[in-house]
Amino acid sequence: MNSFWNGKRRYVALLMFLSGVFVALRVPPVIPFIQLPGEKFPEGYNIPFTDIRLTNTFVAAVIVWILLLLFVVYVSRRRPKDGNETPPGGFYNMFEALFEGLMGFIGGIAGGAHFRLIFNMFMTIFLVVLIANWMELVPGVDTIGFIHPHVKEKYDAATDEYKVVTTDGYEIYQGFLGFSYVNGQCDWISPADEAAADASAMTAAVAARSAAEEDALADAAYARYKAKHDGHGDDAPGDSSGDAHTEDDHATASVDTDATAAAYDEVLAGRTAEKQARRDRGCYTGVATSSWEAGYIEPDKSEKKLIPLHPDPSSDEAKLVPWVVLPFVRVASTDLNMTLTLGLISFVMIQYIGFKALGIGYLTKFFNFGTLFKSPLGGIDVAVGLLELIGDFAKILSFSFRLLGNIFAGSIVLFVMSFLVPILPWPFFILEFFVGVIQALVFGLLTAIFMNLATISHHHDDEHDHAEAH
Amino acid sequence: MDPQSTIILGKAIGAGLAMIGAAGGGIGIGLSVGGAVQAMGRNPDHTATIQTNMILGVAFAEAVAIYALVVSLIILFVLS
Repeated sequence: MNSFWNGKRRYVALLMFLSGVFVALRVPPVIPFIQLPGEKFPEGYNIPFTDIRLTNTFVAAVIVWILLLLFVVYVSRRRPKDGNETPPGGFYNMFEALFEGLMGFIGGIAGGAHFRLIFNMFMTIFLVVLIANWMELVPGVDTIGFIHPHVKEKYDAATDEYKVVTTDGYEIYQGFLGFSYVNGQCDWISPADEAAADASAMTAAVAARSAAEEDALADAAYARYKAKHDGHGDDAPGDSSGDAHTEDDHATASVDTDATAAAYDEVLAGRTAEKQARRDRGCYTGVATSSWEAGYIEPDKSEKKLIPLHPDPSSDEAKLVPWVVLPFVRVASTDLNMTLTLGLISFVMIQYIGFKALGIGYLTKFFNFGTLFKSPLGGIDVAVGLLELIGDFAKILSFSFRLLGNIFAGSIVLFVMSFLVPILPWPFFILEFFVGVIQALVFGLLTAIFMNLATISHHHDDEHDHAEAH
Repeated sequence: MDPQSTIILGKAIGAGLAMIGAAGGGIGIGLSVGGAVQAMGRNPDHTATIQTNMILGVAFAEAVAIYALVVSLIILFVLS
């Protein structure tokens, strides 16, 4: 493997660079569309056996669990069963080195009686957050997904349900292959149906023209017959019928062509007016043709049009819907649900280990009335205890927002840089690589430190580190 | 000025003002890392302890800046 690639890697790198240049020149960069809450999948994509709609961050979280499980299975299978085997190399070896390093690191911080529990907690949180954070570096994450109109859910008081509408108030119904959109006031008409309607209008107009011609011929014939009849007295109609027919054929040239053209135009004008009325109500027919053309739309004809994401409200374009990509997978740590859950788990574990180590006496850390009447400064102790209580709940917020803010801001940086410099956003990927590690480490480390602090008795250790800073 | 532009203007100004809070976090991180590096230089044997406490302090200082960031992200992307 190695010898095969020797000396050829540079060509692979060159090829990648050239394809990057080609893609950057060929494909117009898509303006990043940024949304803080995890995006909901279109209707019909529920979490299996429930009514809850999938979100793309949830999909990412599931992928994280699966990867973590695979990782655990792999590592435990590769682990040498006794000390005499040749140690396995490769990825396992790297992980073992990392594991031992972190074990020593945590041992230096919390190497007491509860080391095992604290280290297990640290390592679990570290791996979950690390895998979740690094997913933003994988190509396709945050970029490949459904094409759909820029929508939000709006409460409709009349029917007491949430409707999916675009920012401009278009109601969304599910169509073939994802979404079609219609205005609330009109039905969705596909371009094919539109063309068919045009064709039938044309047929109707031609039919109207020939009908008008026939009418004109019949009128002319009748007028001629009437004139003949008036002129020649009370003849039987049968007598003159033959003459009338010959004169009909003769009279074809004298049919009023303006009148037939007017009939033709009238029918077509009806169709045009119908189309214009639909346009005036904001009903367009349109489809995005491919994922690269999100933002492009075919408005009625084959002409392509670039629709800005925030069009001028008075313009025609505002009636068209901005199309955005709803990624299949978005980094799990950019959703507050994920980070808040991790924060709550940390919080619960901190309290659990506190009770486990100190029993019911752990509560005196928060409700410290023991010195209230014994010492002149007892009131301060009570206040400090209450502050600690508040500070413990603030930890949840601080944990969850720290991770969310860092990773969300990081993915925005990646979007914007890929938009500004499509060829070389590599430095920012490297930056995000390190931010991912550091945030995972900080999350796990703070959990470990707080868990260690919770095991230390308040009374016997007065000089412990008041690191809470809250 | 039409309402749309006013909204965008307000959002941009608000988000920018919210990010002033990040300055405090920057100052805090700079001070704590500077102090830690000095301490490590004088006392290389205690590098591990100092580093741990430094990371802890940096994380807390950074948290404040991140709150500011979250506020400005909410102003930009959630308020409509």
